[in-house]
Amino acid sequence: MTGRRQLLAGLGGAGGALAVAGRPGWADEDAAGRQVADAPTGHADAAESVPFYGPHQAGIVTPRPANGIVAACDVVAGTPDELERMFRTLTQRLAFLTRGGIPPELDPRLPPSDSGILGPVIPPDNLTVTVGLGASLFERLPWLLPHMPRRLQRMTQFPNDALDRELCHGDMSLQFCANLQDTNIHALRDIMKTLAGFLVLRWVQEGDVPVIPPNPDGTTESARNFLGFRDGSANPDSNDAGLMADIVWIDGRNDEPSWVHGGTYQAVRIIRNFVERWDRTPLSEQEAIFGRRKASGAPFDGETESDVPDYTRDPAGTVTPLDAHIRLANPRTPQSRENLMLRRPFNYSNGVTRAGQLDQGLLFITYQADLEKGFIAVQTRLNGEPLEEYIKPVGGGYFVVLPGVRDAGDYLGRSLVEAVRSTPTPPT
Amino acid sequence: MTLSRILSAGALAFALGTTALTGAASAQDATLDLVGPLAQYKIYVAENTAELVANTRAFVEAIKTGDLEGAKALFAPTRTSYEAVEPIAELFSDLDVAIDARADDYEHAEEDPAFVGFHRIEYGLWVEGTTEGLEDYADKLMADVIDLNNRINALTFPPEVVVGGAAVLMEEVAATKISGEEDRYSHTDLWDFEANFAGSKVIFDLMRPLIEDDDPAFVAQVEANFQAVDDILAQYETADGGYVSYLELTDADRTVLSAKVNSLAEDLATLRARLGLG
Repeated sequence: MTGRRQLLAGLGGAGGALAVAGRPGWADEDAAGRQVADAPTGHADAAESVPFYGPHQAGIVTPRPANGIVAACDVVAGTPDELERMFRTLTQRLAFLTRGGIPPELDPRLPPSDSGILGPVIPPDNLTVTVGLGASLFERLPWLLPHMPRRLQRMTQFPNDALDRELCHGDMSLQFCANLQDTNIHALRDIMKTLAGFLVLRWVQEGDVPVIPPNPDGTTESARNFLGFRDGSANPDSNDAGLMADIVWIDGRNDEPSWVHGGTYQAVRIIRNFVERWDRTPLSEQEAIFGRRKASGAPFDGETESDVPDYTRDPAGTVTPLDAHIRLANPRTPQSRENLMLRRPFNYSNGVTRAGQLDQGLLFITYQADLEKGFIAVQTRLNGEPLEEYIKPVGGGYFVVLPGVRDAGDYLGRSLVEAVRSTPTPPT
Repeated sequence: MTLSRILSAGALAFALGTTALTGAASAQDATLDLVGPLAQYKIYVAENTAELVANTRAFVEAIKTGDLEGAKALFAPTRTSYEAVEPIAELFSDLDVAIDARADDYEHAEEDPAFVGFHRIEYGLWVEGTTEGLEDYADKLMADVIDLNNRINALTFPPEVVVGGAAVLMEEVAATKISGEEDRYSHTDLWDFEANFAGSKVIFDLMRPLIEDDDPAFVAQVEANFQAVDDILAQYETADGGYVSYLELTDADRTVLSAKVNSLAEDLATLRARLGLG
């Protein structure tokens, strides 16, 4: 061993090989002895996990970790049996990935059972994978069509949209959330490998949210989007189970097939931000467009981000313009309460456009019990808002999120498969 | 031509049917068991490269006599014998690049002087709409194809390359063919698809007797996926045994093809280990 170290030192000169041998001369310069090739430290949450089993899927009202991916796929399954097999396989993978563990070791002449990108022991790392179904799946399979939830529909183009067909729709959405993006990527690769015969990817969008440590008094702030504004200030409290039952979860009050009770609607939008142009816009105009102070996130009649604007005292919009983003999105009237939804967005950065501009934006994700009263109504109110000059939705889709997996004997989509099986076969 | 390749592959598999039925317990056994299939595969490849030389000669002739329509008609059928044996052909990377590189392999795309071979000629025939200026490319293609044929005939086929080739062909389809970017000027991609699948199936069929006793479910799944691909491609066949434009492939069929290709790639990636090869 000594001989090998000496050899390395002799070959490596002042380069990396010396570090392997312990860098005897430099140790006191950096107490940790760390160098470029070492993996970054400071991520202590890898052992944390989010429970996979429950009445609802995780990744909706559970806290949003720093990284997310939405992947949309098409599903190749022609019969209820194939659909069930796909759901069972998917459930099995997700139960493992979200709990973590050691993947099986195979004969080295075979491809390994796991990509290995998280090492030999897979940490849960707060991974959640949330599964939704798109209208196209129900519409393509005659035996599934009678069970399509009533508000599920194909995303339509809003006036300011410039939809790219390669970034839209899908039979299935998979929302991955985890502390590290590698954990999401690992899960995505695992699913695409183990369900290769069932799922074909259509589009994938990665995103992240900046990590902000809690204030000394324990309060937390909303993360900022790529326009520099806090995003999520007015989000309903996801820890309030009653509120979530009203806003997010589909139940007997929603006039929907009973198989989908416990599920929710997911709207995904890939919203490009014209950041160069935004950065050249006066601060006062930026704030008027949003209806909040940029630095604090406070509404114009408040001091802090959490203050609630009182529009009843400002009917003419002299304090907060009537077409400000937050005022159109949530006018805070008794009638607009039914339009509330839970937002769970991530920022994305996709490199550069053909024009040499930064391709950045928001991977916008909302959850609501009623898609039409939630996202569609809110977006319709926002049509024509001044912010449109700086944003361009280019992709996304609408999905119905399946109810949760109750325990190890249950599987994702069971209630749907059972509903299909209990329906007489329609004449062909 | 397509038909003759399938028939000859079927005949090979039949001829082999009664030979080795034992599972591959050790590497040594595996190598012995593979002697027959490897010899059969070598014949299959030799038939294809001989066909490639003959067809390229006719293709080049059409170009050099200025027969634009004739050259266009010969483009796709000439390529199929190359596509079917690509795992072997690409062992000679210099020739693979010279024969089958695509414009986006080059920084300056179609304008890049290094861009030669089938796809440069395809660009000339379909985009530039003329055989003029293609004579040098045609001569070079002919020389490269003859060189390839000679080198392959002199080659001892490495077993792991042959067996691994079944999956390699699926990786080819999954990575660059399914998107229609291979034959982007002529949209004759379905001809290439069929040749890639046929080339993969030949290898699988030759190896099947060595594995089917150990894992009949695996064999059945692979065969079902090949069959599903055949069924889809059959819908796009023309009366003369060719294929319609790739642009006519529906999104739904492309999705199913994609799933089957990925599934086959996953399954066939285990073929080497199943035969005891490292």
